Amino acid sequence: MENKCENLSLYIIDELPEHEKEPFERHLKTCIHCQSEIDSLQATWQMLSYDVEETDVPESLKAEVMDFIFIENETPLQAQEVSNNKQSFLERLKLILTIQFSPLSIGVTAVLVIGLIGLLWINLHLRDTITALENKAGSPTKIVKSFNLKGQDLAGLANGNAYLLKEGSDTSLVVKLNNMPKTNADEVYQVWLLKNGNRQNAGTLKPDQNGNGLITYRLPKDHSFDEIGITLEPNPDNTQPQGQKVMGTS
Amino acid sequence: MVVKSKSDEELIELIVQNHRPALEELYDRYVKLIYSFSLKMTKGDTEKTKEIVQLVFLRLWTTKRTYSSEKGKFVNWLLSITRNIAIDHIRKEQKHQGTVQLEINEWQQMQDQQTDDVLQQVSKNLLKQQLQEAKRHLSEPQQRLIDLLYWGGYSLSEIAELEQKPLGTIKSRLHQTLKKLRNYFNEETGGVRHGK
Ligand SMILES: [Zn+2]
Repeated sequence: MENKCENLSLYIIDELPEHEKEPFERHLKTCIHCQSEIDSLQATWQMLSYDVEETDVPESLKAEVMDFIFIENETPLQAQEVSNNKQSFLERLKLILTIQFSPLSIGVTAVLVIGLIGLLWINLHLRDTITALENKAGSPTKIVKSFNLKGQDLAGLANGNAYLLKEGSDTSLVVKLNNMPKTNADEVYQVWLLKNGNRQNAGTLKPDQNGNGLITYRLPKDHSFDEIGITLEPNPDNTQPQGQKVMGTS
Repeated sequence: MVVKSKSDEELIELIVQNHRPALEELYDRYVKLIYSFSLKMTKGDTEKTKEIVQLVFLRLWTTKRTYSSEKGKFVNWLLSITRNIAIDHIRKEQKHQGTVQLEINEWQQMQDQQTDDVLQQVSKNLLKQQLQEAKRHLSEPQQRLIDLLYWGGYSLSEIAELEQKPLGTIKSRLHQTLKKLRNYFNEETGGVRHGK
């Protein structure tokens, strides 16, 4: 038995380090010993799952699972779009969050990515990146609320999501927009938080050439809001909206 | 579209096309198994079990590759997803607690429970029964290895630390254990030697 054959069991239980997987798979192609062993040992490993006591499932679980998938996560169409350029999206996100909007910690980034993508489990590389990010983060971050944003009028094709994140005592709002029409010269999109008819400025953004935009806003302590509105403003930094509303929580 | 009559593979194909009833049908078919499995991995924590079940079905919903039967039985695939997610969950917890702790009584308790299980379920699940039998042919350290590794979600190096043995010893113990179980299964289920 060659030295490499010792790795067969580790390969089967998926405990082989990433850099040893490929060399082992090459070994497997040529090693008759491993070839003759792998199927039966794999089946044995899987057989261990039968050692389970059947339990009754709470009735309410189905609704909870379906809500978790269909309400708290993006529609599949959007998820698919994201999956096409996961890497660049993650890189961009990291860049934006760490350089431009430094108040958000690495932990927030990790949760944000999980929330936005939901495809996390498929892409191992992405998963590792996130695990690495999570391990660096101190306190756990949670998505406490998510919103769907719908475009109207000139931004009728636009859509987006907003996430309220809690990290320790800090609350941040992350707004991600897709399909936004281009803005001219000074024009910006401005995010407003609405509560009892009052508007709080939560920042401005200009979409990239693909019409995507992302903004993060750290909420003042104990600040709450009911709705999110987005207007197209003729110039940045207005304290009250002057332009027309183009998006909102539905 | 009638999803009830579809095979698991066909349901996955429909899920790739974002067909929600297909996901619900898979839920109905497999939730009991996934729930029971996760409950064992979380040592009976129903909250954590719920989170794992949610993530498993989210994972299924976001599957963008069709499942092919060449990869083995669908249920095994499903359970390996479940196990991976559960381990992620368990390991995250362990990290939060700082160091990994071994309660030496824990595996013993588990074993006692399992022995009781066998008595209760004798006629219910032949495979499970055989598995229990097979496990009884293992040495104590071998049984402990399986419990920590498969159900406890510990990595081999963590187990080496717990057992205060070199990693190499644990690796070869794993190999011996799998082989022993396999040989037992082969003997028990092969051909005419069914039943005793
Ligand atoms: Zn070999």
